[in-house]
Amino acid sequence: MLSLSSLISKASSFIDPNILPPSLLNQVNGSSSDGQTPAVLFRSNFRLPDSENPLAVIPCELSLPTGEHYFGRLHLSESFLCFSSSAPSSASGAGSSSSSTAGPPSCGFTLPLVAIRRVERLHSRSYLFALAVTTWHNDQKLTLQFNSLRSTCEKFCEALKKNLRSQMSEMKNLRMLVGSCYSEWLVTAGKSKDGVKEEPDAGLGMVWKYPGDAKKLRDRSKMRLWAEYLRENGRNITLIRQPTFHKLIRVGLPNRLRGEVWELTSGSLYGRLFNPTLYTDTLTEFSGRHSLSIDEIEKDLNRSLPEYPGFQSEEGIGRLRRVLSAYSWKNPDVGYCQAMNIVVAALLIYMSETQAFFLLSTLCDRLVPGYYSQTMYGTLLDQRVFESLVEKTMPILWEHLVKSDVQLSVVSLPWFLSLFINSMPLVFAFRVLDVFFLEGPKVLFQVGLAILRINGEELLDVTDDGAFISCLKNYFLRLDESAHPRSDNEKLRAVTRFQELMVVAFREFSGITEQTITDQRAKHKDSVLSSIESFAKRTTLRNLGPESKRLATNDLGYIYDRFYKVLYERQERLAAIELEKERLNEKKIMSSARSISEKSISEKGRIGLGPSSQLMDYDYFREFLAGVAKWAIADSPSQLFSPSLGGSLDPQWGGNGRKKSINLNPWGDNAEPADHEFMQRLFRRWDTDYRSGLSLQDVVSGLAGIKGKKDIMESISYFFELYDDDGDGRVDREGILRISEALLFITRRGWETPPNIGDQNRGGEGKGGTDPFLGSVSGFIRRCFEYADPDQQGKQEEVSTGVEGMDELVDLLDLASDDEDDESIKSPVKEKGAVKGKEKERDESTEGKDSLDLDANTRPSAMSANIALDPANPLYITLPTFRMIVLADEVLEYFFETGFADSIVLSTDGSKTPGGRSVSGASAFGNLGGGGIAGAKGLRGVLDNIVNDGMRVAQEVRRRMDEAQKEMERNAVPGKYKEDEEDEGDAGDAKSIMEGDRDLLKGAEASVVDDAAKLAIKTGLPEDDGASGTLLGSPTSSLATTHIEELRTPTTPLPNRVEFDMDK
Amino acid sequence: MADGPKPSSSVKLVLLGEAAVGKSSLVLRFVNDDFQENREPTIGAAFLTQKCNLPNRTIKFEIWDTAGQERFASLAPMYYRNAQSALVVYDLTKASSLAKAKHWVAELQRQASPGIVIALVGNKLDLTNQSTGLESSMGGLSLSAAANDGDEEEEEEGDARQITTAEAKSYADEEGLLFFETSAKTGHNVQEVFTAIANAIPESTLKTRGGPGSGRTGGGAAGDTFGGSGGVNLSAVGETNKDGCAC
Repeated sequence: MLSLSSLISKASSFIDPNILPPSLLNQVNGSSSDGQTPAVLFRSNFRLPDSENPLAVIPCELSLPTGEHYFGRLHLSESFLCFSSSAPSSASGAGSSSSSTAGPPSCGFTLPLVAIRRVERLHSRSYLFALAVTTWHNDQKLTLQFNSLRSTCEKFCEALKKNLRSQMSEMKNLRMLVGSCYSEWLVTAGKSKDGVKEEPDAGLGMVWKYPGDAKKLRDRSKMRLWAEYLRENGRNITLIRQPTFHKLIRVGLPNRLRGEVWELTSGSLYGRLFNPTLYTDTLTEFSGRHSLSIDEIEKDLNRSLPEYPGFQSEEGIGRLRRVLSAYSWKNPDVGYCQAMNIVVAALLIYMSETQAFFLLSTLCDRLVPGYYSQTMYGTLLDQRVFESLVEKTMPILWEHLVKSDVQLSVVSLPWFLSLFINSMPLVFAFRVLDVFFLEGPKVLFQVGLAILRINGEELLDVTDDGAFISCLKNYFLRLDESAHPRSDNEKLRAVTRFQELMVVAFREFSGITEQTITDQRAKHKDSVLSSIESFAKRTTLRNLGPESKRLATNDLGYIYDRFYKVLYERQERLAAIELEKERLNEKKIMSSARSISEKSISEKGRIGLGPSSQLMDYDYFREFLAGVAKWAIADSPSQLFSPSLGGSLDPQWGGNGRKKSINLNPWGDNAEPADHEFMQRLFRRWDTDYRSGLSLQDVVSGLAGIKGKKDIMESISYFFELYDDDGDGRVDREGILRISEALLFITRRGWETPPNIGDQNRGGEGKGGTDPFLGSVSGFIRRCFEYADPDQQGKQEEVSTGVEGMDELVDLLDLASDDEDDESIKSPVKEKGAVKGKEKERDESTEGKDSLDLDANTRPSAMSANIALDPANPLYITLPTFRMIVLADEVLEYFFETGFADSIVLSTDGSKTPGGRSVSGASAFGNLGGGGIAGAKGLRGVLDNIVNDGMRVAQEVRRRMDEAQKEMERNAVPGKYKEDEEDEGDAGDAKSIMEGDRDLLKGAEASVVDDAAKLAIKTGLPEDDGASGTLLGSPTSSLATTHIEELRTPTTPLPNRVEFDMDK
Repeated sequence: MADGPKPSSSVKLVLLGEAAVGKSSLVLRFVNDDFQENREPTIGAAFLTQKCNLPNRTIKFEIWDTAGQERFASLAPMYYRNAQSALVVYDLTKASSLAKAKHWVAELQRQASPGIVIALVGNKLDLTNQSTGLESSMGGLSLSAAANDGDEEEEEEGDARQITTAEAKSYADEEGLLFFETSAKTGHNVQEVFTAIANAIPESTLKTRGGPGSGRTGGGAAGDTFGGSGGVNLSAVGETNKDGCAC
């Protein structure tokens, strides 16, 4: 089988073996499939940290001090010099063992630049370009002879020199690392320059013994062989992997070296080299902190290899706790997954905490990616891959399992998830691990397949899960027995079942290569993720809680899809933009020659892959809304850079960036969302946990709050609360203006107005006939200010000056409803056909309004209402007032009844995809811009300007009121007698009214208002003031009470504060 | 044996529930009549079998004891596939665990084999004031509570119980689940749970076991497209008979 990687190396060998700049290198190797970018391949080949990138490569011949020569390629990355021999056959001198054909290259090294002491240029005879490299462990000198054009060689050396220099600073780390390596102690026999050193920590086994019988394992002889190998080929950081190295690992590592070799072969050693304090720092940083993972870890500490004495001790448990916790902090996306405890416990037998911490990281990130993630997609994916491999390699067995309805993964899943540690006896599991760390995840598959192959015959008799499991369980228990107990051949009899397993795994299944696994994973990934996702969706939707019940099931499904679509698409888009930025950046600074780091972009962006971020920030939220509500689409989609992106752009490449600006549109192909204050308010309101981000739950609850409301009162309250910033039940002037802005914002693209309301209602506003809503909103503002309550505190100062009081007296004349207002009040009454309940309401509010008007008109004490028009005077409206005003207007009423909720379109609009919707939004926009330019520019334009400036709205209102004032005076007459009634109460001192009010309020728990009243008393307001406060606060209530008795209907809120708290 | 072999059949049972509510302990108590404080957490799932003798037949439970940690949930369909019965376990002393149990019930009702027998089990009764072992009334319901603790029950101070019997019971009734409160530690009510399940499995399901097992595959688990075949059914029946003899 020709693996892709070998193809690539072949292909690139045809190309002039120059030092390829990263971009060219990408072209050469870029064809590799499934996100296995060249850099990823490079890193995984040499087990390098994610920060490394292939910077240069050159064909060369390696000559070792031991006399071997290997042809291969030399790679340079930021901090490493790596070599791999191109093919085992080309190795001279070293016999390539058959077992290593599928393994890693027969010879190679991964040399951190910091471990190079010296590089000399050799003047060789045949014009050849050669370097002699002296490594940290002095005794080694490697000769590298380049087979390339001289200029290429020179270039390579330049790059090498530069990177060598930049790595000097890491020297300190190197010393520390080498000192902690057992091999160092072994080879120097404990003697270093500074005298005899302590034996480095080689795991709990040093104290509690290593599993297995050391004698039987021939630990001593293995140790001697290793000591010899390490002396000749370098150790830890400078080790050179020759074929013997692989063989030594295949026969099982000696106990005390096991941890270190695992570290070395997996590459986690390099993580430790460059982050020497990460582990302890993480522990310090998070000490004492709690999380779900910490709780879960705690539960399992006593249940991890409990039979091993080390884990019956506080010391062992403590180590396990620290490693697992540190990792859960470092990688909160993974956190803690059961089985990790078992794996880490196993590691800790052979290595120190720090070593285990880094090895665990390497495991989770590279060796078994996604195994322990939130969705465990890696586990499921590898099960699928394993099944397909079984099907391919053992078709008869596979068919039998299918027929018997035995699910393979019920047995194989734990093998993979715990790396055989809790399936096989420990000694054997560790042998598997030895090879696993050296050769990668394919080993798990090879061993798994071999297990099935060896037990094939027995398994063919099995017909149910139970028998299947017990058959294999039995097998594992007898791994140490002879594989051929009845054989005459003594040698054959000596072969244990485990040895047989290893031979079958690595010989018979040598065709299973890293590439096989990669390909298979790519093949099955989608279907596995989809099934995880459909499960996740099902579960999530079911668990969204009571709020979600207010929405239809298909709506929920739609929200779910939309939520994650926006979340992940946007994440991807932003990542792509990031990447693009980086790329452009690079073109500028060619010298640093860093290739694009493909950092796991492809590894996110699906629910099945587990959480990246499950929260939408405000921009995500905007994008989300734009897909479900046409009002949330921006009016001017021309701007390509959102301010936030523009700000984050690196100035260095700004010039370049413009050319590609279309790619950099943060909204992708979607319509650009609007950014309106109303949306910010929605966002804040939905962000119940104050995380500056919305979870799906938040979004569902939020939408349920709008769309799930069946009752217009709830809908009005909801809107009101959006603007009640401090939650005190009042919305101030600013808020009123903002509300009207929002109303216009939401309806600016039109909304489904009720068939009849439009023209009938707004005759007075004439031109508004085309847009009843505009008239309604302006009426709304006006009335808000009319019926607003002055802010007590503000007023107090106001009145104390006295002079202004006089002004207000004059201004008082202004205070009246204009004719339009009058009409709006009356018109509903005329329309007898309207729904009865509403009509009552309306009557009631009309009454209340009349009385208000009268109060305002006739009593000097009420003059402060006039303050409404003066921006300097604080005022507010309460929910009941707000309701009253809304209900007084048919259009607004309809808006809150259905229009608002309907403006957000979920799945009910089924056929429309978000994309389609954005188109329709655009067309709506087109209509506005095209057909209605005159209209839009006329009334709408005026209003848009107005709403953008609260002050101007106030002025506008004021002007209108002035005009209408006289009219009002005339109209006020009919209400005269009511005013008299009121006066009786008022004529007394203000306190008595206050008391009366307070009585009213008592039952109401309207604490906020109550407080305000108290405040009024305490501060000893002048009489008329107190009275006016009272009047403004409560006339609706005191007066309305009479009406309330008659008019109360279930849906009608009392226009007083009594109900205020009910809405909270 | 002396009475001659009773008809015997296998029943697949799956345990589901939040982590550390005592699923494995319940099984261990049922299978080995044993209790261990520290057991390795279940990775994926553990498989055990135990026979349950009824007056007229023997039920061999094939028990799938699943991992409780949240993230293993996505593996669960693999295990409850074809299950004829399920034990959804919660911890009486942990309110959240009942919520999780409800999720599982909903999942099973929608996704598992139709007609699956589900028992809701509140475990760790030993941690509540309710003393155990005295009342053998099946289900250990409010009846036993009244009989036993009378006045204590009214004010449950000092009691770790967070989920009242009435609450869980009414939920179970609503959903048509068997309901028990158990203690794996003392063994209280454990046997009863399994016996009740065994009794609740409809005879029809048992007789054709193996057949419907494979038949259900298509509908039951997502992504499985293999159908059953006659030959397999035969051998499955043979297996069943052997069991009967062995018993």
